Amino acid sequence: MVLRNAVVVGGNRTPFTKAGGRFAAASAQDLLTSALDGLVARFGLAGQQMGQVTAGAVLKHTRDFNLTREAVLGSALSPHTPATDVAMACGTGMEAIATIANKIRLGQIDNGIAGGADSASDAPIVVSEALRRAMLTASRAKSVLDRVKAFASLVPADLIPVPPTVNEARTGLSMGESQAITTRKWGITREAQDEMALASHRNLAKAWDAGFFDDLVTGYLGVTRDTVLRADTTADKLAALKPVFGRGDDATMTAGNSTALSDGAALVLMAEEEWAKEHGWPTLARIVDTQLGAADYVTGAEDLLLAPTRAIPVLLERNGLTLDDFDFLEIHEAFASTALATIKALEQGGVGVVDPSKLNVNGSSLAAGHPFAATGARIVASLAKMLAAKGPGSRGLVSICTAGGQGVTAILEGI
Amino acid sequence: MTGTSFLETLYNTRPGRAVARRAGLADPPKLRRGRTEPTGHTALATLPGGGVGAETLSLLGIAPSTALVDVPEHRTKDERGRDVPPAYSTRPGALVVDATGVREIGQLELLRQVLRPAMRGLERSGRIIILATDASAVDGLEAKAVAQGIDGINRTIGKELRGGSTSNLLFLTEGATAGDLSSSVSFLLEGRSAFVDGQAWRIAPRKDGDEGTTGADRGAPFAGRIVVVTGAARGIGAAIARTFARDGATVVAVDVPAAGENLSAVANELGGSALQLDITADDAGARIARHVASIHGGDTKIWAIVHNAGITRDKMLANLDEKLWGSVLEVNLAAEIRIDAVLLDRDLPGGLADCARIVGIASTSGVAGNKGQTNYAASKAGVMGLVWAMAEELADRPITANAVAPGFIETDMTAAIPFVSREIFRRTNSLQQGGQPVDVAETIVHLCDPASGGVNGQVIRVCGQNLVGA
Amino acid sequence: MMRTVTTLKELPDVGGLIATGMLTAVGRPGAKAGLPARSLVVEKHHQDAGRLAAYNRVCGFTLRNQVPATWLHVLTFPLHAALMVGRDFPFPLAGVVHVTNHMTLHRPVTLTDELRIAVWSDNLAPHKRGVTFNLIGEIHVGDELAWSGRSNYMAMGATTDAPAPPPAARLSPPEVPASQLWQLPADLGRQYAEVSRDSNPIHLYPLTSRPFGFKRPIIHGMWTHAKALSSLGPRLPQTFSVDVAFTKPLMLPTKATFAADEADGVWRFAVARPGSDAPSLVGRVTDPMP
Repeated sequence: MVLRNAVVVGGNRTPFTKAGGRFAAASAQDLLTSALDGLVARFGLAGQQMGQVTAGAVLKHTRDFNLTREAVLGSALSPHTPATDVAMACGTGMEAIATIANKIRLGQIDNGIAGGADSASDAPIVVSEALRRAMLTASRAKSVLDRVKAFASLVPADLIPVPPTVNEARTGLSMGESQAITTRKWGITREAQDEMALASHRNLAKAWDAGFFDDLVTGYLGVTRDTVLRADTTADKLAALKPVFGRGDDATMTAGNSTALSDGAALVLMAEEEWAKEHGWPTLARIVDTQLGAADYVTGAEDLLLAPTRAIPVLLERNGLTLDDFDFLEIHEAFASTALATIKALEQGGVGVVDPSKLNVNGSSLAAGHPFAATGARIVASLAKMLAAKGPGSRGLVSICTAGGQGVTAILEGI
Repeated sequence: MTGTSFLETLYNTRPGRAVARRAGLADPPKLRRGRTEPTGHTALATLPGGGVGAETLSLLGIAPSTALVDVPEHRTKDERGRDVPPAYSTRPGALVVDATGVREIGQLELLRQVLRPAMRGLERSGRIIILATDASAVDGLEAKAVAQGIDGINRTIGKELRGGSTSNLLFLTEGATAGDLSSSVSFLLEGRSAFVDGQAWRIAPRKDGDEGTTGADRGAPFAGRIVVVTGAARGIGAAIARTFARDGATVVAVDVPAAGENLSAVANELGGSALQLDITADDAGARIARHVASIHGGDTKIWAIVHNAGITRDKMLANLDEKLWGSVLEVNLAAEIRIDAVLLDRDLPGGLADCARIVGIASTSGVAGNKGQTNYAASKAGVMGLVWAMAEELADRPITANAVAPGFIETDMTAAIPFVSREIFRRTNSLQQGGQPVDVAETIVHLCDPASGGVNGQVIRVCGQNLVGA
Repeated sequence: MMRTVTTLKELPDVGGLIATGMLTAVGRPGAKAGLPARSLVVEKHHQDAGRLAAYNRVCGFTLRNQVPATWLHVLTFPLHAALMVGRDFPFPLAGVVHVTNHMTLHRPVTLTDELRIAVWSDNLAPHKRGVTFNLIGEIHVGDELAWSGRSNYMAMGATTDAPAPPPAARLSPPEVPASQLWQLPADLGRQYAEVSRDSNPIHLYPLTSRPFGFKRPIIHGMWTHAKALSSLGPRLPQTFSVDVAFTKPLMLPTKATFAADEADGVWRFAVARPGSDAPSLVGRVTDPMP
């Protein structure tokens, strides 16, 4: 029995930029603080104490152990606002939203902010294992000579920093390499992938031009629009790109139909429905339900990024819904082939058929970029706005795949 | 130290030196600003038939001294035997001349008598405030001519006064009282009016239903009131938002989405809210109202809207195409009309309150024209026409519509003006300097003051009495 | 007084200037010659996002489009250095110490603003331990004065006939216990030198600070100043004036405490070595002064 509803009041994000681009100098905390300040300004929350702020980042420095709380302290919110970090790889933002929504529904808080930030530009650089051990030995050494000895065994290669990777711990494969296996297995063609990428860019560009993001994005460091977005891209341009994942004739995944490493932050403001109405806040959409799923991918039995296909049937059944009951489907485009394989798997698994006209209608990660932890709040804020425009009872489904073979899915309902 | 470096640069360029010689430049006087009263006493001269001046000062809690009068028997001789007008023993901060009873040409001599001792006698950033009865409220040709004659005096002493002192004139229309006057007198006395000089505006009786107070609420006259400021992300708009917040308002800061980051910083600092909006959008007025109702509470209404957003697209008319022409008129004038029309709907949640204030931004370019600015001048003169017309159209609602016309204000936009003309423009006013964004802001805040219901359909220039378009 | 204006294309390289300053220390004209009647201007300075981010990290600021007020001081510093290295400057660079600093952020300045940076010196005055003078900086965005700064320096041991100024009001430290403990690592001077371009040897290594009478390098006063402002976080308004007095050097490495209190919109703050009664820096943030 749910007495209380968690509703999306609105959202805010930074524009998303390609890693190494205009936000290269910004940390995840800088980005999260900026998104938070923009949200605070939009809803006139300066100096106010919120119920809770929950967010996270996938690429975290050790100094980021209290990332969200630090962002709150750097923002215009009251320092009395508590904050927590969550982590679920690319599902971080969506899981943060689920956390806040559930606390609101339980009556523990009346309002809250959730989302995430990531800077692929400012990813932690790790020293090699050999150097790390040498440094530990040296720190215990009593004499200068012992200290020098500790480093004596190192070879020059040990001094090269280890760049951050998004390789799976248990398979050693990068996400792209894993997805290349999935792409081949599900027979996703290059043409279908490029077509999806093109639609993503066109839809996102159209949304920007229509002012859709006027109340969803606040500029940062002089950047006012997503910089991954190529409004002028064409099927020919996409077709001309060389594959970057997979091998031989099966290699169909290009930089054009895979998401770019990117920097950005996104947040949504949520509140209990009645509380929001009493305070005159906008109520865009209810967070009806959320569901996680996990895949057995380690030995290749299942696909790394198709775990949402395990979560979606559970979610639909619990809510007595089918795919046809949704007006909007937001399937995160980690790679075009991920979204396409997800759709194919849902179809083959008898869950239902995805109507392409309902899919990612205002663009998704291929065009917007995918600062990992920010994607959940980007999707939810946009979807809530779309549902509010569509009207009461309209429904949206969110599906986000994550590293570690997991997925997070959610149902939103327009108010 | 402000401005010194500019002067230096000026001196070191050939055209600059030429300008400097012509203008005989010295460091400009430093102006008293903000909610600061004069340090010296306020002298009052009540000319025959007057009285409202004394009443107004009393409302403001000011006990005036008696103004000196320059008549032969009060004069002394200097060591060379020349007549010296009577001198104040301590420099007055202000002289208020109540000439509301003056109707005859011969009585203008009485103004000369009280003004002469003040011309060199005021403290720095001193004030002369002349009160007169508006020509519309007096009978007979002579009285009407005399009313205008007083403005000639006002404009001239504005130019003759030194040390940052200003002169301004308030014309009272039929039925205007001390309560209607007090807000403007308080504004003129304080540092808030630093860059308003040689101006005259009309004070009318406040309309029925105007919930404004009398006197001056020096604390937070806007407490609990929503003020919408467009173009608030930076420059003059940010100064306007800040000045409203200083005086207690809850500010809704509006600017284009591209200015969002600065906008949110302004809104967060002031504890207001930010609305990213292109004011030329068809639904701009509705979105402002929706934002106010949904962020600041369903029953909330707008107390004041300041249409500050504006653009320039300067080109000589010989080179001006329809795009540059249209965009300026659209942003600076058409958008304002559309937004007001929506917000004036009495039943609109988040619209203008029953008693409210509307302020537009005109420009001295609109008053006098300016080379390369046909489009801009059209839009800004249009704003003046708009507030005059609105004041008439809204005669039966306690809503005022006014405009300010800034002259040379030091902003990041003025740098686009070529160096020499900019320096001339900056210096050729009675205060010999450019104004600050806050000077425009203070005047706007004054027009929106709950106590300023008597100021309606007026255009106040904030130009230091610029030579252009006087 | 009329000054000649030299317009530079870009901010000069400070490293070279400081070296020149050290080499030309001897044969300075002294206070009698007065301060040079010159000002230096860079008309169009574009800020570097990477350098700002590095500065923010060293000083503890969050990276925003709006830049810290103390960063604007850093932008004036190369011109200050150029002025002081000039042969007509009365005192050797190495012999002057930063005593107090005043700055006003008249309006927020953003990373993307094009800046006009001007500096000059004025106000030569006697002091019981030497001669003081001001280095003035102004930054305009377009025609709008955005930032102004006044760094008061002392040439130790110098003398002058100039009239003594009225004694300046002393800044009072906050009356609350310290709330922060900062760690200042041994290489902090080098870190700050990197981002501020102020590579005065007294800030770098023991070996380079010793010739100037410091056993260990001392941290730049402007780092301590910046860190104090960043420690106030979002409490710092969009526009403000800040005064600080550098009362005692902090030798590296060290710890330092930070205390701050607020009354009627005025923030007072002080930085001190733990357990020390005598603060190393005292400061005050007020509404912007005209």
